[in-house]
Formats: sequence, C-alpha cells, structure tokens
Amino acid sequence: MAKYTLKRLIMAILTLLLVACLTFLLMNSIPGSPWVSEKAPSQATLDALNAKYGLDKPLIVQLGKYLENILKGDLGVSLKMQQNRPVLDIIKEMFPVSAKIGVFALLWAILVGVPLGCLAAYNRGKWLDSLLRIICTIGVSMPSFVVASLLLTGLGGNDQSMFPTIFKASLGVKSYVLPCFALGVYPMCYISRQARSAMLDSLGQDYIKTARAKGLKNTAVIFKHALRNALIPVITYLGPQIAFVLCGGFVVESVFSVPGLGRYFVQSILNRDYPLIMGTTIFLAAFIILMNFVVDILYKVVDPRITLEEGGN
Amino acid sequence: MDNNIKRPKFGSLQPDIEDLLNLKPEDFAPASEEQKASFIQDRESTSYWRDAWRRLKQNKVAMVALGVIIVLILFAFVGPMIVPYDYDEFVSGAENLYPWHYSLEDQRLIESVSGNQEERLAAAIELAEAEKGSALSSIELAKIKAQITTTTVDIDEFIKENGIKYKAFGYSVGELERKEAGESVFPHVFGTDRYGRDNMVRIMIGTRVSMLVGICAALLVLLIGATYGSISGFFGGRVDAIMMRIVEIIYSVPEVLVVLLLSTALNPALLAFQSSGNGFFHRAVGVLGPNLISMFVAFGLLYWVTMARIIRGQILQLKSQEYVTAARALGASSGRIIKRHLLPNCVGQLVVTTCLQIPSAIFLESFLSFLGVGVSAPMTSLGSMAADALKGITTYGYRLVIPALILSVMILAFNLFGDGLRDALDPRLKK
Amino acid sequence: MDNKKEGKLLEVKDLKVSFFTPAGEVKAVGGISYDLNYGEVMGIVGESGSGKSVEAYSIMGLLQSPGKVIGGSITFEGEDVLAKSKEEMTDFRGKKVSMIFQNPMTCLNPVYTVGNQLVEALRAHNKDISVSDAKKRAMEMLELVGINNVEKRMKQYPHEFSGGMRQRVMIAMGLICHPQLLIADEPTTALDVTIQAQILELMKELQKKTHMGIIFITHNLGVVAEICDKVSVMYAGKIVEQGKVNDIFYSPSHPYTNGLLRSMPRVDAEEYERLIPIDGTPVDMLNPPEGCPFAPRCEHCMQICLRKMPPYFELGDGHRSACWLLAKQKSESKEAESNG
Repeated sequence: MAKYTLKRLIMAILTLLLVACLTFLLMNSIPGSPWVSEKAPSQATLDALNAKYGLDKPLIVQLGKYLENILKGDLGVSLKMQQNRPVLDIIKEMFPVSAKIGVFALLWAILVGVPLGCLAAYNRGKWLDSLLRIICTIGVSMPSFVVASLLLTGLGGNDQSMFPTIFKASLGVKSYVLPCFALGVYPMCYISRQARSAMLDSLGQDYIKTARAKGLKNTAVIFKHALRNALIPVITYLGPQIAFVLCGGFVVESVFSVPGLGRYFVQSILNRDYPLIMGTTIFLAAFIILMNFVVDILYKVVDPRITLEEGGN
Repeated sequence: MDNNIKRPKFGSLQPDIEDLLNLKPEDFAPASEEQKASFIQDRESTSYWRDAWRRLKQNKVAMVALGVIIVLILFAFVGPMIVPYDYDEFVSGAENLYPWHYSLEDQRLIESVSGNQEERLAAAIELAEAEKGSALSSIELAKIKAQITTTTVDIDEFIKENGIKYKAFGYSVGELERKEAGESVFPHVFGTDRYGRDNMVRIMIGTRVSMLVGICAALLVLLIGATYGSISGFFGGRVDAIMMRIVEIIYSVPEVLVVLLLSTALNPALLAFQSSGNGFFHRAVGVLGPNLISMFVAFGLLYWVTMARIIRGQILQLKSQEYVTAARALGASSGRIIKRHLLPNCVGQLVVTTCLQIPSAIFLESFLSFLGVGVSAPMTSLGSMAADALKGITTYGYRLVIPALILSVMILAFNLFGDGLRDALDPRLKK
Repeated sequence: MDNKKEGKLLEVKDLKVSFFTPAGEVKAVGGISYDLNYGEVMGIVGESGSGKSVEAYSIMGLLQSPGKVIGGSITFEGEDVLAKSKEEMTDFRGKKVSMIFQNPMTCLNPVYTVGNQLVEALRAHNKDISVSDAKKRAMEMLELVGINNVEKRMKQYPHEFSGGMRQRVMIAMGLICHPQLLIADEPTTALDVTIQAQILELMKELQKKTHMGIIFITHNLGVVAEICDKVSVMYAGKIVEQGKVNDIFYSPSHPYTNGLLRSMPRVDAEEYERLIPIDGTPVDMLNPPEGCPFAPRCEHCMQICLRKMPPYFELGDGHRSACWLLAKQKSESKEAESNG
C-alpha cells in the first residue's frame, strides 16, 4: 500500500511538473513577455521583474525561477483584471465559491446517480430501465452550458421564480440551486450509467449465485452483496468527474453570473491577463491532480483485495 | 406368449418396441459418414461484417440515430445551398425577427389599436380643449396623460380577442410586401439575429462546423492513438513500459485547462503568422481560425491516450495468438505484422472508439466556442451561437434553444449510434 | 448425524428446461427423470453444455431469465418444488438444499470476511440465533471441514485463502444449516489434483457423518467412481444412461458412456492401452435434430438413429439406457430364438 501510494504520488508530481512546464513554455511563446502588459514598463519595473523572474536570463533559468516561485506560493500578480493584486489572493477569494458549487453538484450527482443506476440494473430490460437509460443518455449528451442556458431561458426574466437566475450572495442557498443543478446533470447521468453497468457486472458474479443459494432474501443479495461491489468501481469515475465539474464551472458560473474562480478565469482569458491565466491554470491543475490522487488511494482502501496484494509483496 | 396384447409393467420406462415402432432390419443398417455429417443442420455461418451489420440493423435505436445523423448531415451540408442567404449576410430590414410573423393585415390591425401613444395623446388633448374651450391647466394635462397611458389597450388581450394567429417562419415587413406583390421570398425559418443574419443558415453552418470538427478530431485521435498504441503493444517490454508511463502522465493532465491555455498562447502567434503572408498555410489558418487550430493541437497532444490504451490492450491480447507467431516464424517484418495481422483484428474496437470520440470532440468544441475561445467570428458554431443568444435571452429565447437543441440531438445521435455500433461489432461487450 | 431417514428424498420427473434466447428456444434440458434416496450420492456426468448445471439450478430455483422450466416436476420430501412461492424458495435454499459451485475463487464475496458470510448463511434461516452463537457454530463448521486456526480465519477475507481452503469454506457454508441435499456443481474442477482428492475425501467423510444426499455434477468419471452410488450420464439435455456405479463402469451399454470410459485414464490399464477421444462436437442445441443427438459422433450409428430418439431400455435394477443398439440386440436375439 505504501509502495503504491508513493508510486502514485510520484506520478502526480510528474504530471503537475509537466503542466507547469507546459504552461510556462506556452506563455513564453507569446510575443512579448507574460509578465508585462502592453504599456512599456519603466526601467525600475523591468529591473524588479528581472530580479524576480530572471527575464534577462536563458529560458531554462527562467523556468527554474518560475517553478521556485510557485513552490514558494508566489503565482505572480494580476496585470489587467485587478491591478497588481497577487494571483493567489484572487484565487483565495474566488475559489471557495466555485468549490462550494462543485461539491454540491457532485454530491447530488452521486446521491441520485448511484441509486438510479442500481435501480436500472435491478430492473434490467424492463421499461424503467429503458426510461432511465434514455434519460441518462440524453443527460450525457447535453453540455452543461446547454443545461444552464436552457434553465435560464425557462426561468429567465421571471423574478418571481423560486430560485434566482442571477447569483446573489445575499440570497444564500437559493442562489446555489440552479448552478449546482446545471453542473450536476452530466455527472449524475454519467455516474448513473456507470453504476448501472457496475451493478450488472456485480449481479452476474459467482458470489451472487452463492448468496442466492444460501437462501438470502433478495434485498440482502442486492444491498449487501451486489451493491458494495458495484460501488467500488464507481469510485474510480469520481476523479474525472471532479475535473469535469471544475471545468464545467467555467461555463455555468458565466451563465448564472456566479462570482467564482471559473468565471473569473474565463474573463482573464478573454482579457489576456497572462499571469492570472498561468496562476489559475496551475492551481486548478494541482487541485484536479490532487483529487485524482486521493480518489486512487481511496479506491485501494475500499477494496480489500488490493490491499493485500500490495501488502503481500 | 399366448397373450397378444402385452401390458407394460407399471412405472417402467420399458417401451414395447416391436408394437410401437415396427422396426425393420434395414433400420439397423449402419449409417454412412455423409448421412452422419448431414444430420446436423449447421447454422449458416456469416462473415464478421455481415453479422455485425445484421445486428446493427436489428438495433432500432441505433438505426434511428443513424437516420438523425443523416438528416443532420443533409441539413448542414446541403441546407446552405438551398437557403438563399449567407451566414454572414446582413439582410437589412430583417433585424431581430422571430421565427414566426403576423400577416400584413394583422400587423396593421394591431397597429391601429396600439397605435402611437403620442398621436393618441395629442388627439385626446385636442378633444378636451374643444370641450372646455380654453387651454388646459398642467394638472388637467397630466390627468389626461395618465389616463391615456393606463388605458393603453392590452395588445396581447386584443390579439387573443380578435383571433389573430402567428404564422410560421419569420418575414420582415418589406419581405411580406414583396411577397404580397407576387415575388417569392424565402422565409427566415428560425428568425434572424440582431444584425439581420438568417438564423437557419447560421445554424446550418454551425452544425457543419461542429460536425467537421468532431469528425476531424476523432480521425486525428485515431491516427495518433492507433499508431502509438500499436507500437507500444507490439514491442512490449521496456518500450511498452516507458510509453505507457508517458500515457499515464498525459492521461492525468486536465485537458480542458490545457486547451484553454493553448488557445490563449497560440492565438497571437497564429494571428501573426496569418498576417505574415498569403500562402496555403496562411490561408488555412485564416479559414480555421487560431482557436480551432489550437483545439486540434490539443486533441493531437492529449486526447489520443484512451485510444492508445485500448489499441495497446487489443494488440497485447492478439499478439499471443498463434497466427502472429506463425507469421513471425515465416519471417514477416514487424511493420507487416502490425499492418496485415494486428490492425485488421482490432478494427472493430477502432471503429467504435473513433465513433464515440466524435461526440466528445463536439462537446469540447461547443464548450470552447461558448466560452468565446472556439471558432472565431464571422465563422460560427452552435456553441458560439448559444453564447451570443445569452445577451437577449429573455426576448429571443429561441435563438438559444434551437442551436442548443440541435447540438444536443447531434451529440445524442452520435452517442447512441456509437453504442449501437459497439454492441454490433463486439457482442461480448454487450451488457 | 441424527435420525437416518429412509426412502425417496428427491424425485425429478420428465424435467424440461428451455432458454428463450433472441435466436430461438434452446432446449437445455429435454425431459429427464431420476430419483434420489436419503443419504444417496448420485453423479451427473456429461460434457459442458449438456445441461447438467441447468438441471441443478432448476432444483434450487436459481434459473435466471431467459431460462424457464417448461415441463415436468421436481418433488423434494413429498413437496412440489416448482409450485413453491418465491419466499418459500428463499427459505428452501440453503436450509433444505445447498449448493456449492465450480470456482471457489469467485464464489465468495471478496469484500466481506469469511466469518461474516458464514454467519449470514446461518442467520438467514435461524433468525433467533444470537450472533455469538452463530459465530460459534460457524467456527465449528470450519473445524469440521478441516480448517485450522478458525478464530483468526473467521476474520480474514476470501483472498487470504487458497483455492482448496475456499472450497472448504464453501462446503462449510453449504452444510451450516444441515440440509438434506447438497448439490455440488463441479466442486473440484478448478482445483489442483492433490487438492481435488482432499476435497473429495472430505465430502465423502461429511456425507457419512451427516447422511445427506448429494448430487455430484462433474465431467470427470474418476470422481464419480470415487464418491457416487449411482450415475446419470447426460448428453445434449437428455439422460442417455443411468444406473448404479458398478453397472455404468463394468457394463456400460450406451456408446457415449463407453466413449467416456475409454477417454478416461486408468491406473490399472494395460501398458499399451490408448485413450480414445470421442470425435466430433455436440449438436447445436438451437435446432436439435429429430433423432438421437449422439448419432453423428457415434461409431455404431444406424439408419433409425437419424430418425428417432431412442426410448429407454431397462437393463435391470435401475440400469437403463437410451440406445437403438439395445433394440437391435433384442430383435437379433429374438430372431435367433425363432430360428432356433
């Protein structure tokens, strides 16, 4: 287990390094410097930048400097969106909103998706299964911006509607309902489809035959024996879904005017605020990679089989 | 045996053969090998592709999906030839049309009641002055004004009462007049946008862009993934281990972030390149737009890993089969073995994965276009049309709903068809 | 163990099971009959696809759709099994009849401890038994099937057991409610030869102790000789020969049984005796032919075999066989009689 964790950790760090280098190199390929806005900087500013980023040094040294700065938690300062405010500061302010929406979206997606998938598997071939399959296939065919903007069209302009289409922090939970719903539709349907096939797979296993042959009640067979085994593979789908929810947040936050990091990131791209783009990319990538790592480890913890194989070595 | 009728013992399965069957000695003649062979009616053996096609045809959902895809292809590729408008053509006088219209008479009727408020106000004041015989005080004026504004006829109510109905498709007033004059005018089936561009033709072009991007990206992924995967799987050992490590790292890179990054970074460079000359590539960049190119770069860099993994798995499995060993023993080269023996055998998987890659590419393209970093104006795509429509969403909801629906239907059709194809080509995978 | 009952335990009459697949009806079991007394061990022998397991699943009520019993009857201790409701069947399984399966590696749920699964089997049928008592019983059972260090073993997960050990656990689980009948579906096929022998030995021993009936499904005649009292040989969904072990082994009358015996290695064989495989493959169960399903592979195949399924010919004391050769012998002997 320790060996496995270490291996995964190294892979995660390598991935992050790759993303950081890619970010740096891409940004450096832009004519001009990512650290400088269009206005010609004063000599004093240039000197300060050279000291911090080594802009007068070769590229590889700059990269080293850049990585060093990241490790120190210095992601640079925003140039256009918020004059000279540290990127990390902006992230600290905006990310919690995005995270809240993401967590709730994923939460409802799991809480609804898994039972629906199991229900479909249990009623395999019956009309309920077909119905759920159709709904879920439609769900995974709708980009989250479609869901979000359809919601907006449906409720748009109607101020009396229960949930506001324009995010207002003062409204509290109500404001989160629509963004969370829109963001969660795709993961819900995706998880439900995966849960269905995992459940079907589990129901076809020999130990289910054993459980039936023992004379267990149907409910015990389903809930005790099939479900637990079906849930294990579903965990592996959470990693990609976390990434999806974070990136889907870009769109959903824009549609519902949520003051989150996602919307801000999109605006910074459209405004070409390079340090902000770089900083946010690295931060989000690190977050996603970390979550994938956690999911991987969680998977091994939940499944007793693998713990031993690793420990037995 | 004095009794001719034999009674079987109760409970015995012993049959009375002589009476029952009247067996003759020739019945006991040995059967020939041919007779034995023809005894079993073998099921007709069919080729893999014919069998797959038969299964696909039986799958109603997949066939409907295929039908929808064909309709969408016609819509996207043939449609713009039929519609006489261009996607970037501003039809003057036809700005902001709904996909429905009132006939000219109805419009006049509505105008007569709603009329011009100022005119009606002036008429009312005139009337009151005539009654009073002198100029009105400011209080009286305000009263009349208030009366006029509050008693404005409710147009919706009026329309309902007079049974005025919408007619399908959008026409501008000018177009309606021309139509009345006997000219044939092509309607704006889905209305127009705020510049007077025909929405339908824009949606057709947008569908075409989305579809082409999806298919090209899928083919790109296929090319890179299949090559990488087959090399890795075929050589195995050290090469495989290293190549798969790379895949693992790329696999965990958050793709969307990198795509966004790429389009940001490549945009200035490509724009500079585009304006630097007028060669084939310069023009190609002009047509595709820098964002689309960076999207393809991203597909080429990141999205092939799943394909590579699948192909590698297939190759590893196939490699252990005898016919590959046989080919090797006969001295076939590695390239030849890959081309002649391994790839044809995983062609089913290739087709399915490629087909399922199309919707996910469309998904990504629309996502980027919606964010404003996809297809560049004046070219359009379904995603960017939806994004544009957000601005007037309360009044012109249809501008968002139609492209959003077409996009979803397209992705759905590709998904369903891909699923059907998978079930047909690889029955073992069917759940 | 306790009172040894006598008489019929299980009676299967003309059982027919079909699978309704999209391609058509597959007659997996086409009318088989046998009976089993208390404490008797019967082997069902046949190659894969001959319907052995399907037949066993129908007794357990474990047939999964699209499989369906379409005819015949199953009577267990005088009760009609096929007429039982779903709830009654749930109670019936595990308590009256238990089943152990071919692959012990996959038959235990990997995410629960062995103890948990044993206790669960017991408590499914004895609701009032306390958990600690159930655990005690489970440990007794594990000791009974020859597992040491039970205290620790109870808390382990299935993957911490070897294949043979897992099959022992399966047997313990099957016997924990003292069923009258144990159906063993190829319980030794997936195991190493030495382990196979141990498991067979264990089953024989347990059978003597508990006086339960066993239906032993296998494709291995050697195993049958080891443990069974009587044997049914199945081919393409039909029992082609049935009888006491000695009858089957020393005077087989069906060419298929003969073929099986010849293809089995024997310790007491002459030096140059060769193993003779049965040529050909079984018939397509989707469109079974009119005549005897074994005809195309049979070296003695006659004209009549291609046209008609042979009936059973009684050969004495429960030994019967379905083959036209017996009719031929009979008519020949009759001719000889009339001639002489």
